[in-house]
Formats: sequence, C-alpha cells, structure tokens
Amino acid sequence: MTRYQVERNSKKTLLAIFLGLFVVAQVFPLLWVASYSLQKSGDLFGPELFKLPVNPVWNNYVRAWFDGKIPQYLTNTLLVVIPSVTLSTVLSFSIAYACTRMQWKLRPVAWFIITIGLTIPIHTTLLPNFIWYNFFGLIDTRIGLIISYVAFSISFNAIIFSGLLAGLPFSMEESAFLDGAKYRHILPSIIAPMAATGFATVGVQTFLNHWNEFIMANTYLMSEAKRTLPFSIIRFQGQYSSDYAVQFACMTLVALPPLLLYFIFNRWIVAGITAGAVKG
Amino acid sequence: MYRKIGLFALMLILATTVVFAQGAKESGEGETVVLRMGDNIPDRSTGWGAVIEKINKEFIEMHPEVEITTESYQDQAWQEKVKIYATANQLPDVMKYWSFSTLLQPLVDGKFVEPLNMDTFKQYGYMAGSLEGNVYDGELYGIPVSADLWVIYVNKALFEKAGVPLPESWEDIVASVPKFKAQGIIPMVTDGKDGWPLCEMFDNIQQRISGSFQPVADAIDRKARYTDDNFLQTARYIQNLVKAGVFQSDLVTSDYGASRNLFGQERAAMYMMGSWEMGLATDPNFSDSFRENLDVIEFPVVEGGKGNSNDLLAWFGGNYIVNAKSEHKDLALEYLEYYAKVFPAYAWETQATFPAQKVDARENDTIVAKKLLDIAADAKTTSGTPGLDRSTAAFKETHQDLMRRLMSNIITPEAFVAELDAAAEKAAK
Amino acid sequence: MKNLFSDKKTIALLSVPSIAIIGFAILAPLVVSLYFSFMEWSGFGAATFIGMDNYRQLVLHDGTFYRALINTFLLMLVTIFLQNPFAFVIAAILTKLKDATSRFLRTIYFIPATLSLVVVTKLWVSIFNPSYGFLNKLLQGIGFQNMQIAWLSNPKTALGSVIWIMVWQGFGWALLFYYSGLMTVPKELEEAAKVDGANKYQLYTKIIVPYMLPVIQSVIVIDVISSLKQMEMVYLSTEGGPGDLTQFIAVYLYQKAFRYSEYGYGNAISVIFVILAVFLTIFIQRIFRERSAGKKRVGA
Repeated sequence: MTRYQVERNSKKTLLAIFLGLFVVAQVFPLLWVASYSLQKSGDLFGPELFKLPVNPVWNNYVRAWFDGKIPQYLTNTLLVVIPSVTLSTVLSFSIAYACTRMQWKLRPVAWFIITIGLTIPIHTTLLPNFIWYNFFGLIDTRIGLIISYVAFSISFNAIIFSGLLAGLPFSMEESAFLDGAKYRHILPSIIAPMAATGFATVGVQTFLNHWNEFIMANTYLMSEAKRTLPFSIIRFQGQYSSDYAVQFACMTLVALPPLLLYFIFNRWIVAGITAGAVKG
Repeated sequence: MYRKIGLFALMLILATTVVFAQGAKESGEGETVVLRMGDNIPDRSTGWGAVIEKINKEFIEMHPEVEITTESYQDQAWQEKVKIYATANQLPDVMKYWSFSTLLQPLVDGKFVEPLNMDTFKQYGYMAGSLEGNVYDGELYGIPVSADLWVIYVNKALFEKAGVPLPESWEDIVASVPKFKAQGIIPMVTDGKDGWPLCEMFDNIQQRISGSFQPVADAIDRKARYTDDNFLQTARYIQNLVKAGVFQSDLVTSDYGASRNLFGQERAAMYMMGSWEMGLATDPNFSDSFRENLDVIEFPVVEGGKGNSNDLLAWFGGNYIVNAKSEHKDLALEYLEYYAKVFPAYAWETQATFPAQKVDARENDTIVAKKLLDIAADAKTTSGTPGLDRSTAAFKETHQDLMRRLMSNIITPEAFVAELDAAAEKAAK
Repeated sequence: MKNLFSDKKTIALLSVPSIAIIGFAILAPLVVSLYFSFMEWSGFGAATFIGMDNYRQLVLHDGTFYRALINTFLLMLVTIFLQNPFAFVIAAILTKLKDATSRFLRTIYFIPATLSLVVVTKLWVSIFNPSYGFLNKLLQGIGFQNMQIAWLSNPKTALGSVIWIMVWQGFGWALLFYYSGLMTVPKELEEAAKVDGANKYQLYTKIIVPYMLPVIQSVIVIDVISSLKQMEMVYLSTEGGPGDLTQFIAVYLYQKAFRYSEYGYGNAISVIFVILAVFLTIFIQRIFRERSAGKKRVGA
C-alpha cells in the first residue's frame, strides 16, 4: 500500500470510530434499558458492567402492561391525539392559506398572533388555566387537553404550510375561479393536494408531539380514568418502584410507538424541517 | 356558505353542551346511595388499602342500598386534588386527610369539614393526645387513624455481615460507616427528595441535644428563634453526619420509593422512616431473608446530649374527615363511627399500619410490630406535630428545601438557621 | 375574480377558528395570569390584592429566580457552542457519505428526539443512579474503584448532568436541520471553490458556513426558545435541586403555585417569563434577519 492509501485508510477508520461513538451515545441508553427490561430487577445490582438477557423474563412486559395500566392509558392517548392532530392539521392549513394567499386588511394581525403562539411557553398557561379552564368545566376533561394541544401546535404547523403554499402560482385559483368553482371545492381538491407533503409532515410531527406530551396532561387531568400514556411510566414510583425491570419494560413499551412511527414516516419529518426552518 | 357557518356554530354549541353535561353527569340518581370517598392509598390489594376495602364491604352489608366509590392518589396528588375539589365544592363525602394545620385549617376555615362529637369517639381507645391534634377552635374535626412514630428500621443480617452491633447513639453509627462501606453496604437511607423526613430528623436531633421537643413549638410560635444555639448545634451535627458518609450519596434526589427500595433490596443497613412502614415485614415484593432479618430500634441518642431514647417523636398525621356539604351526612358519620370501631383491630391483624388507638399484641405479630408497640408504650415524652407541619405550606416547603441544601453541603449551618428563622417569621405574620 | 381572494366569508371560516382557539387557550390565560400576579392566593379561599409586591419580591429578592435564568443561559451556551458544532460537523460528514449509509446514520442519530421527555428523563435518571446505574459501573470498571458519584444529587455534577440530558435529546433535531441545510448548498459553489484551489477547511469556513447562515440562525433561535422552555426534564429528575442549582423558570413557577401554595407569586413569575420569552425571541430575530411569512409574495 502506498503511504497515501495508508493515510486514507486510517482517516477512514478514525471517521468510522467518531461516527460510531455517536451511534453508541445516541442508542446505547435505550439498549441498556431494553436489555435490563428482560431480566430480573435484582440483576441490575449485579457486578457486571452490562448484561444481556440470557433467559429473557418476558413476564416483565406482561406486568408492565398491567401494572402500568397501558391499555387504559393508551386508549386515552388515542382519544385525545386523534382529534387533536386532525383539528390542528385542518385549522393550521386553513389559516396558513388565508394568510398567504388571501387578501384582507387584518391579515398581518392574524399572522402576528400566529407567530406569537410560537413564542409563548406552554408552562405559562398551566397556572392560569387551572382557574380559566375550571370556569368552563374543562379541567379533568379530554376536550380541555385537546384544545390546549391544538392551540399550541397551530403556529408551527401554519408556518410549515405557509412555506409550501406561498410558492404556488396564483394561476391555480384563478383558473378555477374562471371555471366558476367556489372555495369549498378549490381548497380540498386543488390546493390541498399541492401541499400533500405538508399534510404528511404536519400530521406526523403533531402526532409525535401530542402522543408524547406530558406536563399539560399532568396539570389538567386528575382522574385515573383519563390519564395518558406517559403516566404509565410515572406509576412506577411509590409502591411499584421496587420493580426496576418492569419499569424498564414499561419505558420500552411507551417508547416503541413513536419510534416505529418515526421509522416509517422518516421522510416527511425531514421534509417538514426543510420546509419550515431551512426555507421559512 | 351560510350553511357551513351554521354547521360550525351548531358543532360549537354541541361541543359546549357536552362539556357542561359532563359536569352534570357526576351527580348520581336512582335508588342506590353513592357514598364518595377519597384517600391516598392507591394499592387496594394489600395493607391499609385492603383493610379499607374490608370495612367498606361490611358497611355495605349493613346498608345494602349504599354503593361506595373511592378515588386514590399519592400524597401530593391527593392534596392538590382536594384543593381543586374544595374550590369546585365537589369534595367526597368521607375523606382520608391530614390533621396538620397546613392542610386541615384551610378546609376548616372554609367550612368544608363537619364537626364531630368528641364524646362519641372518645370511647374507642384513642392514644393520649391523638384526638386533641384534630381539634380546632374547640371542635373536633377529624379522627386520627394512625400513630406515626419516628424510628430506624434495621437489617440485622447486614449488621452481622459488617460486624457491627446495633447502634445506640449516632456516634455509634458514624463509627460503623467504614465497616459498612467496606462491604459495599449503604449505612442509612431515607427519602431526601421529598425533604420532610429530613425535617423530622432535625426536630428529633434537636431534642436529643437539648433534651426537649418544646423549642420547636416555641420557634414556630416565635417564643424562641431558630437561630438559638440548640438549633445551630443541631444543624452542624446533621451536616457532620452527612460528611461522615452516613447516608446514601444521592440522598437529595432519592424519593420515597427509591430509598425504601434500597433498604428492601438489602443495599442499606438502616432505614429512617415512620412506624407506618411496619408493613415492610410482610411485603411480598421483598425477599424472605430481608423480612426475617428486619427489626426496628428507637431513634438513637446524641452522646453528651440531654435527650433519651424513650423521648419519642410521634404525631397523628393521618385522619378521616366528613364533608360538611355532603348530601349523605348521616350515612357518612355512621361510616366514620364504624371505621373508628373496627379499624384498629383489622389494621393490626394484617399489620397494615400502627393505629392511633390501643391494640393488644397478638401471638404471631412480627418482631417489628411487637417492638413498635413496646416503643409506643415506653415513650416518656412525645413531640406532637413536628415543626414543619405546624405552620404554613410555604414554611414547610422552605424548611424542606433548606434541609436538602444543608445536607448537600450547599449552605453553612449558620446560614441555614438564619433562613429557617426568617421563614418562620414570615409565616407567623 | 380577485374578489374571491378577498371573500370575507371564506376568510372568516378559515381564520376565525384558529385565532379563537389561540385566543381562548393561550392569550386569555395570560390575562388571567396577569390578574392573579397582583394577588396573594393559596389556591382556594380568598385572594388578597397586593399590587406589585410579588414582582418586587421576585425581581429584587429572589435568588432562585436569577439562578434559574443563569441555568437557562448556560444551557443556551452549551447548546449553541458545543452541541451545534458537533451536529454541524456530523451533518457535513453525512452529506459526503453514501446515501444508504447517510440515511441509516441519520435515522439512528435522530432516535432520542422521537422519545417522550418522560422516557428520556427516567432513562437517564436510571443511568445516573449511583448504585445500579450504568455510568458509575463504567467508571468502576475502568478503574475508579470508589466512584459512587451521585450525578444528579452532587452539587458539583447536578447541573452538568441535567444539561447533558437536554443536549442529548436535542442533538437529533440540530443534526437534521443542518443536514437539510447542507443539502441545499449548490454543487457549483463547491466545484468553483475547488477550482480556485480551496482546501476542505477553507471551503467550509469561507463558503459553506456563510451560505448556511440563515439555517444556523434559525437553529439558534430554536435553541434559545427551547432552552427557555425546559421544564419536564428537570421536574422529573432533580426538581431544581440540590438547592436551586438545577432550577429552571418553568419548574420554579410550577412549584411556587402547587407546592408552596403561592399561586399569585407563581403567576408573577409566569408573566415575567412570557415577557422574557417574547422579547428574547424578537431580539434574536432582529439581530439576525427579518423574515416572517406575512411578508411573502402577495399579489396578482
């Protein structure tokens, strides 16, 4: 081998190690949890640095399923997230369209409100809503949670849509107007398909965010009966905290759906970032 | 176009109706009487939870038309829930709560609690001082259910392994630290994250040094100051204990479950906690060897200090109260009386907790249970409500926060007492 | 024809619901917050009007509040000057790799960002655990026999550990942003530079980074906003402790309201927090560039 080749090879190896280290850093914590989720809680205290499950204790997952109340909490999450994502997508598309392609005096005001929605931290509404939502009977209801989820996701989603919609030629609507079409036909049949990637991105992204959301659910929901999926993990303090392995199994179970979703819809998440932040 | 707007408005109206209807659905109708209850005991399959379920079942047998629904949350969540319920006037009919002024006084002041007849309940064998802790403005507002004694649980096997005898003084414990560490054993664990166990320890060490529990009550009432020498010495002493390595290294982020777990998994030799944890001896989650080696000792003395080991830090925190605005008050009061009548025996039967009422030791009581009865009987003086629960909620939080800082070595004992006193001063206003 | 673009009914139908919900769920509560910030209230019972007392106490006497601000600022620094450069470098490397490898690595690197904050926090709390956590076991394995560091309890390591969790979780996003941005760099630019004899270092510093400035600025704005918004990860691990060494504003206001029962004070913190967040965002946007969708091409 020439010296050049040796240098190139060692550079390549260094590169591989560098990238490999990051892979380990990003993924190992999850693997650690997943691995011990299939062992006995006591094994955690063993002397080994890291142990792979030799005789997987699948029962941990069964117990995580029941002790973590996963079926109930999962149902609640779905009952909240499906309406919230649908509503958020439709509303943000609507207002993005109105603000980028329609003409009205109050447009800048409306868009300003949308951008403000981005900067207001969620946590500043937790305290007042305790009183405000309570006045409307929205505390400890799924509807209250849905309203908050939608409100806080409209801004970001509208910006993503606006990026896509702004680039379309006005001739699209104009030729439709010439044919005598009204907006109730134009929007869903002509404009929306053009923003299809936007719908995919917004849908997936919002779904992930709402699925994982914790602090609003923690503040607005009281009854056991309404709690959402992140609470499964929280259950493992107090009386169940001796069950480390089961707690890890629960964590793994809760982490899986968003992960799978991400793997499947990877492309649209990237597209959304590009449209929203890079170009916007 | 108009049609769409109309449809939208209709949906909005429907949505609003649904929202308000949800509230209306709560009030039950029909022939069955629903008695709503609430407590801080989520686990209904063992221990205290199981005892309540038994009592409920028997009550329903006496009153077939009654249905009992219970909601349970962990301590903090339950307290927050009660506050919300009180604001919305939706408190349960019967509730497990606390006798501490920080928690009960606001409810009493808001006229949410039904006064009880002292004579009715006096006959059920309550320990000295227990009912009195629930008296406000001369009226009895709740019945105590458990006596909380501050003790140290020990794992005898781990003591043997390290070659250490059971301690009588904190100096003994400090001396044993190297021996425990050599065996990879944590000497003592407690819940540092919540902070209140550290406050209990503070009151207790203060007594061991000065010889009396009174200074704490005085400091709260501003007849004494937390900057007095006895408190300063206490703060210094405690910080030295931490520096000597007595506690787990992640003391201030170890929550209740984590610390209890360290003890139950036999990683620690001692667990500083209250008598309510006597259920450790029968907890099926832990190994047989752990349960067989479990014992309990009195809070150790401080060498050179004036307090004795039979001066007991004890209070009667947990209680049961009746909602003054309940629609089924008579039934609720009857339930409460039945509870007072049968609870001590049932609780002692399963060793669920240490009742505030007298019970007889049984043949097959665990060692821990018998020891606790002895400790209670031996007590020469008791403390009453600990300092952190005698004042406002803000004072309690500050006290806990300061203890965590003291035991993380972030502040000096001098700064600690100064800030604690300032907080007491502010709370007294 | 143009009239349809200004059709009032359609505009109303498209925009009113969003504005209404934002008004109801975000703006109205802020007004409620402002109202209660002038009160002393425990959460139930009577509320007393105390004027600016909460604010006075907060701004003049509250050390914890300023500690929280400092922690936020430190987080921003670590994110912008440590996490971002790493993300940029790795993104640059990824653009040069085979497409399949690049996509595979990108997917892997983004995994933590898809996880719920509850999972992320509980995961690292376990890893940081002094008794059974992986980190201490690793240190012991390497040879530091008596390292029983309580990462989240020790005053020296607590803040660093908490910041690490936050940076770990956000790395994937930064990577994705930079990767997307780098992919938009026209090939001609690179070729021209190579023709001019620029080496890799010059290529990046003199050509690519300046071209990517808008993206970098976007990422920094997002970093600033998310540093301000940190709450769950602290709430589920250290709760601001030990002392207030890992305190963050959103955690603090939550505790003041729900633990200390100082609801009015918590709202005062909330109000200041909103003002801070809005001003900081506007400030950063102004420094860099003004670009809001409202200014996009309109016309015909």
